Amino acid sequence: MTAQPLAIPSRSHYLTAQKERGRKVLGVFPAQYPREILWAHDIAPMEIWDPPLEPGSAPAHLQPYICAVVRQGLELVLRGGAARLDGLLVPHTCDSLQNLASLLNDYLELPVPVLFFYHPKEPFRDSARAYYRRQLTILDQKLAARFGPRREGALEQAVAWGQRVAELAGRTYDLRARGQLSAPALEFYRVLRAGEFLHPEDHIPLLEEFLAVHQGPAPAGPVVLLSGVLPNPKELLSLLDQQGARVGHDDFLGLSRRLLFPASQAADPFDALCEQYFALPPCSTRGSALSQRLDWLKGLAQASGARGVIFYVVKFCEPELFDVPPLMAGLKEQGLATMSLEVELNQGVSGQIATRVEAFLEMLS
Amino acid sequence: MSLAGKARFQFMKDVGAPALFALNKSAARKKRRPRPANPDFGPPLACAGRLKEIMARHYYLARFAKGARPVAWVTSGAPVELLRAFGYYTIYPENHGALCGAQKMGPELCQAAEEQGFSPDLCSYARVDLGHFFSRKTPAGRLPRPDLLFCSNNICQTVVYWYKVLAHYLKVPLVMFDTPFHFEEFTEADLDYMARQIQEMIPELERHSGRRFDEAYFRSVTQLSRDTSLLWGQCLATMKARPAPMTIFDAFVHLAPVVSLRGLPVAQEYYKILLAELEERAAKGVGALRQEKKRLMWDNIAIWYKVRDFSNLFASRGMNFVVATYTNAWAETIQYLNLDDPFKSVAQTYGLVILNNNLEHRLQLMSQMVKDYAVDGLVLHSARSCKPYSVGQYDLKRLISQRLGIPAVVIEADITDYRMFSEEQAATRLEAFFEALEAA
Ligand code: SF4
Ligand code: SF4
Repeated sequence: MTAQPLAIPSRSHYLTAQKERGRKVLGVFPAQYPREILWAHDIAPMEIWDPPLEPGSAPAHLQPYICAVVRQGLELVLRGGAARLDGLLVPHTCDSLQNLASLLNDYLELPVPVLFFYHPKEPFRDSARAYYRRQLTILDQKLAARFGPRREGALEQAVAWGQRVAELAGRTYDLRARGQLSAPALEFYRVLRAGEFLHPEDHIPLLEEFLAVHQGPAPAGPVVLLSGVLPNPKELLSLLDQQGARVGHDDFLGLSRRLLFPASQAADPFDALCEQYFALPPCSTRGSALSQRLDWLKGLAQASGARGVIFYVVKFCEPELFDVPPLMAGLKEQGLATMSLEVELNQGVSGQIATRVEAFLEMLS
Repeated sequence: MSLAGKARFQFMKDVGAPALFALNKSAARKKRRPRPANPDFGPPLACAGRLKEIMARHYYLARFAKGARPVAWVTSGAPVELLRAFGYYTIYPENHGALCGAQKMGPELCQAAEEQGFSPDLCSYARVDLGHFFSRKTPAGRLPRPDLLFCSNNICQTVVYWYKVLAHYLKVPLVMFDTPFHFEEFTEADLDYMARQIQEMIPELERHSGRRFDEAYFRSVTQLSRDTSLLWGQCLATMKARPAPMTIFDAFVHLAPVVSLRGLPVAQEYYKILLAELEERAAKGVGALRQEKKRLMWDNIAIWYKVRDFSNLFASRGMNFVVATYTNAWAETIQYLNLDDPFKSVAQTYGLVILNNNLEHRLQLMSQMVKDYAVDGLVLHSARSCKPYSVGQYDLKRLISQRLGIPAVVIEADITDYRMFSEEQAATRLEAFFEALEAA
């Protein structure tokens, strides 16, 4: 018998509830930022990845050749989304987000402040480590200046939450890789992605419940890796589930590339956050070398028994689109099958793409 | 580096190249049938021939550089002074991309990259470069294979992705200079980070080049670089004169030495010649256009395959581009370069370039340029290739038009890939722009 989907509140209801309990809420654009510092200031990050909105006001500000993550994020802000928030935070992820941050801050006269977070790009020399640590303290001070000082011990608590989320996420990924997680892909990503807006006090129990409910044998179909920015359109996940395929692992920017890190033992919370940042899996948006990413993907395939990799790339996403051809070539050399799909967010999966995916899975069976 | 390679390079530099160019010059003189003069333009710049020679010589000698000098491929915004201190022969793939674009080879080379799986949505400088890598086609004869890639993300993150791919295919090291985006303020942390990286790169470059770092030489190169950029800034400033002694379409071309040969004596010497000529023209009232009725500003990189067409089109209306954010980029921050503190000041100079700076800065800069150059209208090239230059332009247009009361137009195009250009759409937008300007 398939388990019922777990109960997760809607983002909108959750946002209202967080405000009611006195928390500040920051809208955060993708991808990499120290959420622990926000939690320590009793701020709930509400991440903006793929709001399902039709184009309205954003095209007046952005060219059509900008990716949907940026376009739809801006659409949300312009439709009054910003007014429900206490501010926006834009990490330095790519050229489009860099300029979006400046557009929001400099030209659009929003009712809320826009904060920016720069994280160093590879190679991580000593200077990068020192700089990242200073960036963390600067963000901490900025939040304190705007929202008041954080409670004593709050950062330590937040780091512990972050580590617990990473540990639970790591276990779910690990079980799935070994074929011991019965959850369909659609449910797996719904639960993991709930962390984009749930406070760890709510996300941790959800992950625990998920593990308790779903430990058990996975479908015996072909095993694939998914790579890209985020699992959207979700119809592709449903298609994989319907075909009896198992997602062995992923290297999604929004998921494993920022969720999976070993917990630092450092006593100082800033040191711990630093260590954890530099221990994250390789990522195009942080400038990781292709050889690192290739080895990472090969390792994931080996650990999960995947024989194929589906690149599931958001249209116009430069950091990913540059990496895909050499990665595909490198994986093929290892005898792995690959396919690449360029998708628009929230647009479903066309018949043509569905046929290609079905043929790909058949080839792996 | 081999002795024979060094001797061959030196010979070609001192004897081969000058002889070849002298021969070419005389053959060209004999063959040349003068192009009928376009009555809309003033006399052409006399030093254009010298520019051609310098750039042709640079690409020609590049063929012999391998084995004689370490060779690096470099991004246009990287602190090349550091490489010069180690004797690198530098090639700028972006400049090569512009050359391919101007020669209308963009689509062919882009396609060669697309056939290998690279998306047609990627920056076309990168696609041209990768296309050249796969097909070996280039209008520059032959580019030497690099021993090193040197990249800075002060112009975009795209170059990081692009150079990583090159490093992977070519199996050569990539040295990267990470420059935090100037969102609101440049903190001490940002500056320290960049200055420290420059120091950290020194042992890396010593290892890669096999040469010791000579700080005194580095300072002298930096001085040369500073003087060259200052001269380039002075050349651009002559365009405040009415009529302006050159057009931005000329400047797009005359920009090549400050981009590609910065830090070398040849670039400095060239801009002395150019400046003297421009000052003389300005003093005598010799304009780039016979009749300069309107003065315009250009935003973003050139549309390389349309430079000549646009130059003729605007000239036919008596409209001259007298200033551009793009050409200004190699002069704008040079005042920060201070030889007393070269590492920190190099960091500041390169960290604050226009594309690493916020949009409020761009708005202020452009508003100032409108005033300084007495600009009547603004043309913004929305370059599909270039997100950091293009995202924000719609609002920039709106704000400048509203605040300064000048007409502005956005043209959707690309820097080299003319498959992305719609003649019809551009013509319709420009017609409306011309009407607004002429009515103003
Ligand atoms: S999808 Fe790609 S281009 Fe778009 S915001 Fe994310 S990383 Fe940037
Ligand atoms: S055109 Fe733009 S995106 Fe391409 S390399 Fe130049 S600055 Fe980067």
